[in-house]
Amino acid sequence: MKKRMWYSCIAFAMVLVSAALLRAEPVHRDHVSIELVSDQSAARPGDTVTVGLKIQLEDEWHVYWTNPGDAGLAPRVKWNLPPGFVASPLQFPVPKRIPAGPLVSFGYDKELLLLSDIVIPSDFIPDSLFSFNAEVDWLVCKVECIPGDAVLSLMVPIVENGLAEATAWDEQFRLVRTKQAVEDTNWSVTASASKTNLQLIFTSKSERSSTIPSDLFFFPTKKGIIDNSAAQVLAKKERGFELTIPLNSMNTDTLTEISGLLVAENQWANEGTRTGLKFSAPATMLSSPTPIAFAAVEITWWQAILFAFVGGLILNLMPCVLPVLSIKVLSFVQQAGEGRKQILQHNAVFTLGVLVSFWILAAGLLLLRAGGEQLGWGFQLQSPAFIIILSSFMFLMALNLLGVFEVGTSLTGIGGNSRRSGLLGSFIAGVTATVVATPCTAPFMGSALGYSLTQPALISLAIFTALGLGMSAPYVILTSTPWLLRFVPKPGRWMETLKHVMGFLLMATVVWLVWVLSIQAGSDSILLLLATLLVLGLCAWILGRWGGYAVEQGKRVTAITAAVALALASVSLASFNVTPADSVASGMTQADGLTWEPFSPERVTELNGQGRPLLIDFTAAWCLSCKVNERVAFGSLDVQGKLSSLSVVTMKADWTSRDERITKALAEFGRNSVPLYVLYTGKTGQSPIVLPELLTPGIVIEALNKLEG
Amino acid sequence: MTKTFIISAMLLIGIGALAFSQEAAKETAIASVAIDQPAPDFALKDVNGKEHKLSDYKGKYVVLEWVNYDCPFVKKHYSSGNMQGLQSGFTKKDAVWLSICSSAPGKQGHFPTADLKKRMETEKSTPSAYLIDESGSVGKLYGAKTTPHMFVIDQKGVLRYAGAIDDTPSTKASDIASSTNYVSSALDALIAGKPVGTKSSTPYGCSVKY
Repeated sequence: MKKRMWYSCIAFAMVLVSAALLRAEPVHRDHVSIELVSDQSAARPGDTVTVGLKIQLEDEWHVYWTNPGDAGLAPRVKWNLPPGFVASPLQFPVPKRIPAGPLVSFGYDKELLLLSDIVIPSDFIPDSLFSFNAEVDWLVCKVECIPGDAVLSLMVPIVENGLAEATAWDEQFRLVRTKQAVEDTNWSVTASASKTNLQLIFTSKSERSSTIPSDLFFFPTKKGIIDNSAAQVLAKKERGFELTIPLNSMNTDTLTEISGLLVAENQWANEGTRTGLKFSAPATMLSSPTPIAFAAVEITWWQAILFAFVGGLILNLMPCVLPVLSIKVLSFVQQAGEGRKQILQHNAVFTLGVLVSFWILAAGLLLLRAGGEQLGWGFQLQSPAFIIILSSFMFLMALNLLGVFEVGTSLTGIGGNSRRSGLLGSFIAGVTATVVATPCTAPFMGSALGYSLTQPALISLAIFTALGLGMSAPYVILTSTPWLLRFVPKPGRWMETLKHVMGFLLMATVVWLVWVLSIQAGSDSILLLLATLLVLGLCAWILGRWGGYAVEQGKRVTAITAAVALALASVSLASFNVTPADSVASGMTQADGLTWEPFSPERVTELNGQGRPLLIDFTAAWCLSCKVNERVAFGSLDVQGKLSSLSVVTMKADWTSRDERITKALAEFGRNSVPLYVLYTGKTGQSPIVLPELLTPGIVIEALNKLEG
Repeated sequence: MTKTFIISAMLLIGIGALAFSQEAAKETAIASVAIDQPAPDFALKDVNGKEHKLSDYKGKYVVLEWVNYDCPFVKKHYSSGNMQGLQSGFTKKDAVWLSICSSAPGKQGHFPTADLKKRMETEKSTPSAYLIDESGSVGKLYGAKTTPHMFVIDQKGVLRYAGAIDDTPSTKASDIASSTNYVSSALDALIAGKPVGTKSSTPYGCSVKY
């Protein structure tokens, strides 16, 4: 009893001096002062005492949240408590984003109060003085980081009754608690993750519509799962909203559960002082689509080579290649008079030209991809500068065919061996045909090309070789079969007419290229290109008028030099000065009676989440087969009717200019070229359907019928 | 078609290729590393001004260590001798250890060359090379976030591990003994011809001072 009296005395004395005791002096360390405080002056056995770790920071210095983001470390505390005492984990308030260059951390500035509830066992003998002891360590950073640690203690008298009362800290504690993120059963959360994005859909259960803050940010509990510095896209919905959060590409863990805080930078307008919503939701992993091809299936390497060969054959029929091949046809006619050996030689060289350029394109593509560039087949036509060069070249060839200038007859004197340069001409024709043909991925070719780039270099090259051989096969066959050549008429005046017609065909190609450029680089670039063509016309005219043999040598050389210099200067000036337009074809486009949404991976994830059917048209202005498909298939009233009756969302991924998101999306389907048509059925667990590359209304309707089944 | 025409045509194509490559070069590189994918090549000068390319080391295991000697997390592994032990241990096994500093001039961790040499001596740091990435371009290419941030690349140039040095995010050297070191586990597995157990982790440390 005596002993107990003694304790009581001490307890009483302690309560009297409690103000001093409950607030142990703050400990000062580099840029931080830290102390332990309590909300009660005394406590009874069985009570819960809340203890606060108060951290005060100098300006611009930070401490971190439990998930520190890209860098940092959260403060930690180790309690030294008598047996039976239980301390809750530290309660962290809602963090802030702290940007540092390209990185973002999550944490706090100025001051921070971390609370922990400590339960005193009910069998604890009262009237004793209890000392809370905490070993704390932390990391404080401005730009540089300084770790710190301290042992803090706080005396709290444990008394039998009556004496416990709130301290001056009580109010601050309450304030901190109201700013804590809370769970709210009014909101239901569904989470789904694809390879690249996490999507959180928040749906309100109440009828009352609440205002959604526009500055929401999701802080995940788990480290390293999201791209901390990426913008999170908020989209409002009828009964709530959804947030699309780019994931950290280095994360290899499967996301089965998502938990964290949804925080509004300012307050949630009509929800009092709430700053954060705390939640946890199971995440469904949207497995990256393993598309089922509508027509073709998985292919092996020899099938790929076969498809490439057939694809090469068909390339000859593509509208992009025809104008160039017209030159080839012309040379055929001219060659018809020559010996068989020469003809074979020309064709071999033409084939070589095709093959070499395919190899260079393939090698370039493989190299650039190895270097991390996001490119696809036909990438050269995504460059405005290249379009200018190509149209200039085509225009000059057209003028030549139309007879504005005659390089063929006038310059043979300088030319030397005319047969050799003739062979070079065949080579160039092969190169040009290939360069112009690449964007037109013919049927059979898309999957073969996509496949080839995932293969070892040797197989890729074999596939490209097959493609080139396929493209030049018709000519080789034609010329190595003499009886076929008999059908080619003898040279005569009609050849002149044919040349002119071909000239106009080339002009038509130029018109197409001008249109492609207008989409890529805007109307200013058109002025640049047309002015260049005007100068080229002038050069051609100079060559035609003063470049001929009728003119004396001095004048002739001056004229040729001036014309060539002027042509090269104007073309290089134009191609170096053209810049791609900032944004191309944004917003909805209405064509063919259908409303096309612009492509966005976030929107695809969203629509998949909603279970809505979706058709994506991967296209480009320079892809003529795409344009043909769009006219033929999507222009059909039957198809349009079917699409709207099934309420299929139509989306257009325009790849006219370089767009890494589209390149990535194509790669997910094993492609690196357009056209590609993908139909998401909107049914869970069903893979998207890939339509063939040549569409008919029938094919599209047949595919759409699967949605009803 | 004759020679002049062909030559001009080729010149035109040449200009085109030039313009195209210029344009391609304008594109900024994005962090494009992924586990089990080829590690992007880079070229950086070391403390002696000698250029090192990642592709120079094909056929060898390569470790990339993002470093900032003044960061307490880096100090944890240098003051304890842990990092130096890994460096000498693996360079003896013919692996290449590249310490890379992406601190911008004037920021913490960036030193003038003379000071840097002295500092490396004080730290007893023995990487195969200490590479200076003042512009931060290689750091951004690899998505280096913290010091330390570790990458392990195999003999074929494929990235096999990326992330923290070990599983204990702290600044206390006393924690090292009880930690699992991800870098040595990855290298040991690779050298033994086994698959890497932990292929990635969330790096911990100070932010890279870009």
